[in-house]
Amino acid sequence: MLLELKQIGKTFGGITALSDVSFQLEKGLILGLIGPNGAGKTTIFNMITGIFPPTTGSITFDGKSLVQMPPHKITELGIARTFQNIRLFGHMTALENVKVGMHTVTKAGYWSSLLHLPQQKREERHVRERSLELLEFVGLQDVADVRSDTLAYGQQRRLEIARALATNPKLLLLDEPAAGMIESETRQLDELIRKIRNNGTTVLLVEHDMPLVMGLCDKVVCINFGVKIAEGRPEEIQNHPDVIEAYLGKEDEE
Amino acid sequence: MFWQQIFNGLTVGSTYSLIALGYTLIFGVLRIINMAHGQIFIFGSLVGLGLAVNSGMPIWVAFPVSIIVSSVLGLGLEFTALRPLRKKNVPHLASLISTIGFAILIEELTHIFFGADSRPVPAVGTTVIHLGTVQMRAADLIIIGISLCLMIVLHYWIQRTKMGKALRATAENIETAGILGINTNAVIIMTVVIASGLGGIAGMLIGIAYSALIPTMGLTLGFKGLAALILGGVGSIPGAMVCGVIIGMSEVLAVAYGDSSYRDAVAFCMIIIILLIRPQGLFGRKA
Amino acid sequence: MDLLNPYTLQVITFLFLNLVLAVSIYVTLSTGQLSLGHAGFMSIGAYTASIATKTYDMPILVALLLAIVVTGIVALIVGYPTLRLHGLYLAIATLGFGEVVRVIMLNLKVTNGALGLTGLKSLGTRLYDLEKVIGIDAQTFGITVTQMKALSTLIVMVILFVIILICQIRLDRSRVGRAFSAIKADETAARAMGINITYYKMLAYMIGSMMAGLSGGIYAHITTTITPDDFNYHRAVEILSFAVIGGSEVIIGPLFGATLLTGLPEFLRVLAEYKMLFYGSLLIAVMAFRPYGLITASTFDKWKNRKSRSTSGKGGV
Repeated sequence: MLLELKQIGKTFGGITALSDVSFQLEKGLILGLIGPNGAGKTTIFNMITGIFPPTTGSITFDGKSLVQMPPHKITELGIARTFQNIRLFGHMTALENVKVGMHTVTKAGYWSSLLHLPQQKREERHVRERSLELLEFVGLQDVADVRSDTLAYGQQRRLEIARALATNPKLLLLDEPAAGMIESETRQLDELIRKIRNNGTTVLLVEHDMPLVMGLCDKVVCINFGVKIAEGRPEEIQNHPDVIEAYLGKEDEE
Repeated sequence: MFWQQIFNGLTVGSTYSLIALGYTLIFGVLRIINMAHGQIFIFGSLVGLGLAVNSGMPIWVAFPVSIIVSSVLGLGLEFTALRPLRKKNVPHLASLISTIGFAILIEELTHIFFGADSRPVPAVGTTVIHLGTVQMRAADLIIIGISLCLMIVLHYWIQRTKMGKALRATAENIETAGILGINTNAVIIMTVVIASGLGGIAGMLIGIAYSALIPTMGLTLGFKGLAALILGGVGSIPGAMVCGVIIGMSEVLAVAYGDSSYRDAVAFCMIIIILLIRPQGLFGRKA
Repeated sequence: MDLLNPYTLQVITFLFLNLVLAVSIYVTLSTGQLSLGHAGFMSIGAYTASIATKTYDMPILVALLLAIVVTGIVALIVGYPTLRLHGLYLAIATLGFGEVVRVIMLNLKVTNGALGLTGLKSLGTRLYDLEKVIGIDAQTFGITVTQMKALSTLIVMVILFVIILICQIRLDRSRVGRAFSAIKADETAARAMGINITYYKMLAYMIGSMMAGLSGGIYAHITTTITPDDFNYHRAVEILSFAVIGGSEVIIGPLFGATLLTGLPEFLRVLAEYKMLFYGSLLIAVMAFRPYGLITASTFDKWKNRKSRSTSGKGGV
């Protein structure tokens, strides 16, 4: 059991965003989190990554509780994420963005950087090599030195994934990675995510693109109005009446 | 003694409130702090004072002059330092820095035209009224009175008139206000004029309170008003009104019961403390 | 231009001092923190070093070291709570800090209030004493004593600047520099990448402040007289202007800004007369036309590209 959410609840002031949501994610699986907009999916992501704590309930990762842990520590533990509305370091190049991702797996500090100690120089070489590898992994090796905020939308999405992978995560959280993509791009994304999983990273993904989710995920959890309404394999979810109602609404009773 | 200090604090504080109102109006509509505020109204006040004294007319003539000159300078600020930046996608603090530039400009012009020496303000309202142990100069009562009237008028104007509503709408969301047909540029001009005008009045009132205007006061007074603004919460009109008085009273009490030489530091210490414990100010809402 | 003219030498020395100040504001800005309080740290450094040499007769190196340490401690105390503030609020808080320092210096007995500290033994004189000990004096080079002192001070200042610049460039290109840059761009994303924002912001703030403190200590021993007004709001704006006008995205920016703002008034006498008018107008104009400063990252990239096209070589960091 890599990630476990138990009876998670979150209220913001008077608004209940989530109540009594529980699910588990086993190592090596791809889990899809679906639900209409505003259902609470990104809130779940934000709580897993420590942006704010749950009001009730527990989140355990690899046996450790994530509640009240600061975000940078959570990343050190092995959870990385991408953002729904892309948060790249705009003025930095693609390569530099990925290098930042390697922050937790390197350790050169102020003095070793200043004095250009041999181990720092070695580490920098390693950082550069690995970052280029990751860019190649997502197909961006040709734009390594391009300023990231000038890249095309699809490229920016892939860069965010490369950057997250640089942290060497055990669990990768993807927040609507296919948003705004055309079909060919989505197919490439599907391949990429499979490659990531095959390399040993567990994936938790929030998505609206149903064909992608149903084709890719091993398990799907559906949230609506802050409550889990269904959980299971893609085939089960596709035909689940509550899920269909959540997306399409109830049939009028004649 | 204590009540005397409270009264003195009220006098000085009500001028700080007027200054703070100038800041808060501009912040509300433009989301920036006008770092040139103090310099602008001191220049206006000095022009007013100079004109009144040189032409031998009563000091009251200085008020409209100060208001007009301050407003004109305020407009100058809007057209050279603020409007050009609104059109582009500039880093948020560029406007702040632009107003600092304007402040430096005005400060230097003040130095060139008015030198550095203190200029006496003809005595006004020297009759003293006694209320218990408290001595109140007529001048002080006039200052408090004018400040209070202005605040009441401003409050009603913003809450009850059409232009006031346009101002509130623009302050709420400038884009939406524009889409709804409000001429936001006109609202901005109006706000700047009112804010600077209030400052012009405040400057003259301070001159009357201290019987002198010192050209370098712009910086110090600007900071005091800024303290009131931050203490009250940026963009909050009641905040500016109340906290100006609080700052005034704190200063006076610090001088009376503490160390007078640290008077100017009082306002700043309050800024730092409030930013650390409650950055949105006493009356502000959390962002 | 008579290069060995002591006045000219002193102007160039101050230029290099300003270049160090430019780096100090650049470091803090590289994490997105806008500080109007560097003048306050400069003041603390200046007074600490001066009291150390004047009252306690400490050697200049110890005094400067003390200045750095004291400034660092104050930066730690002041910086930690202000970390949570951003943009406008941080600017105002640091401005407040600078003013509080000024008022304190104006009122403490040990700083001699408004009269300040005078009669400090200048850096030039100390260096000259050292040189005499190893057997060189002005006669050796056929110049006057004043020229020798001024030249020695300048050389030390240049060496100091070069060391600081190299350190800063190394820092920029390192893991720490990348962390700074990430924080400036997007704090939330930086946190998500495992960067401890508090630690790195604090680090940048302290480095910048200590550099300003060091500059203050040196400044005091070049001018030999300091008053609280030497480090007022105007000084804070001046230091900030180096980065604001020059550009804060790449290190060349503030250096260019410092050179422009220090050098221009010297070359154009009429500007020196109305230096502040020039300053104010320049700030407004630059914000209106080039809000990221005169030298931005893209300006720098264009220069680099033009250079790399003429010489063949691989790009990238």
